[in-house]
Amino acid sequence: MKEDILEVNHLKKCFGRYSVLKDISFRMGSGEMIGIVGENGSGKSTLLKILSGLVRPTKGNFTLRGPIGFCPQELQVFETLTVRENFQFFATAYGIHGWEESKDCLLDRFHFRQYEHRLVSQLSGGTKQKLNLSLALLNSPELFLLDEPYSGFDWETYLRFWDYADDMRSKGKSILIVSHFVYDSARYTKLFELKNGVLK
Amino acid sequence: MRLRYIEMGWILAVKELLRNRIALIFILLIPSLFFTLIVATTSDRPILFKLASISEATVFEVGERKEALIFMGLATIAFISSFLGLNLVQKHPDVDRRLVLCGYRSSELIISKMGVLFCVICLIGGYVILALLHFLQPKHLVQALLGLILGGYVYGCYGLLAGAIFRRELEGVLSIVLLVNIDAGWLQNPIFYAEAQNKVIIRYLPAYFPSQASMVAIFTDYSMVNSAVGSMGYGTFLLVFALMIYWGRMRLTR
Repeated sequence: MKEDILEVNHLKKCFGRYSVLKDISFRMGSGEMIGIVGENGSGKSTLLKILSGLVRPTKGNFTLRGPIGFCPQELQVFETLTVRENFQFFATAYGIHGWEESKDCLLDRFHFRQYEHRLVSQLSGGTKQKLNLSLALLNSPELFLLDEPYSGFDWETYLRFWDYADDMRSKGKSILIVSHFVYDSARYTKLFELKNGVLK
Repeated sequence: MRLRYIEMGWILAVKELLRNRIALIFILLIPSLFFTLIVATTSDRPILFKLASISEATVFEVGERKEALIFMGLATIAFISSFLGLNLVQKHPDVDRRLVLCGYRSSELIISKMGVLFCVICLIGGYVILALLHFLQPKHLVQALLGLILGGYVYGCYGLLAGAIFRRELEGVLSIVLLVNIDAGWLQNPIFYAEAQNKVIIRYLPAYFPSQASMVAIFTDYSMVNSAVGSMGYGTFLLVFALMIYWGRMRLTR
């Protein structure tokens, strides 16, 4: 029997009196792709921030097995560095030695190799998002936590993203995606809706 | 502590700084502008002043312009280093935290920022002392440079602390403008200090030790060791606070 890579038990998160997450529980096995959808402000990003370790839950706990790759909803990249330098900085953080190969693979996969030596501040929003996502994929983790990963992508890049996601799943990697909309529900192993602080 | 991580953080922070051309121009322009104003507005008339770190009874006679140049040189370094310290910590905290999430330690990140800050302080110190050499000959050149660098160190650490405390730019900038203006830009001037009613307050301000170290090294043959040690202690005290707050802000929950 496969061991769950992520186990979430009765998570609760309050901001003052406002309870954004009331009781969140789910499990995720290796190779699974789980989607969480919900309206703006429903707490999707908060849930992912809790799972990544950026925000402390008010109650409840969760268990992660293996390294994670986290793609935040907001662009969190160095604007005054080049695309290559961003990869280099994050590869150092991950402790990856052969990072050039992974970087080349991601540049080709998402079609932005031509911008490798450009400052991020000079790139379009979509290309910045490609970098934002790629930095989460660089260390090839066991679990991907992706917050609106394809926002700003054109259709071709959107499809490329799903090709990549399918490849990762075939290698046994797990992917948790939160988004305010879902085009292809068939792609997910499980799809939840986050509403009124609970998963449905 | 992993040196490779600190080195990479340092290299990329330097690249970021070098790409900010307007900031670089200001760093070069501000000392020249301040010195030009002093040369244009002061005379060589002799003035008498006392130095707090030496006997209260000892009075020095120095040209007004020379005294003003040293005083303003220190204030310039204090301004630039504190703003740079603030900027280095405040610039992209979310991206820094993402790096911590990916494996960096917050101590490695802030040490690499301190490394950049220290290099810039040394460069500005050298630049200011070279400019000063056009107008006066310090009695002890190396110690004079050290005094200016210590001024940058203390205020650079204050900038790091302000950046760690205040999340928004305006509050950080105002906290620096307020303190540097009052302290390095006013109260530490020996002419004011000699006649001040309450000297205790002035002695507890950040620029006290470095300004004493610079003045003593430039105008006298007295030892500046106590002032230098005081500067190091003051700066390190601020730095430890900055590190603690920065660590708290970068900390992960798992």
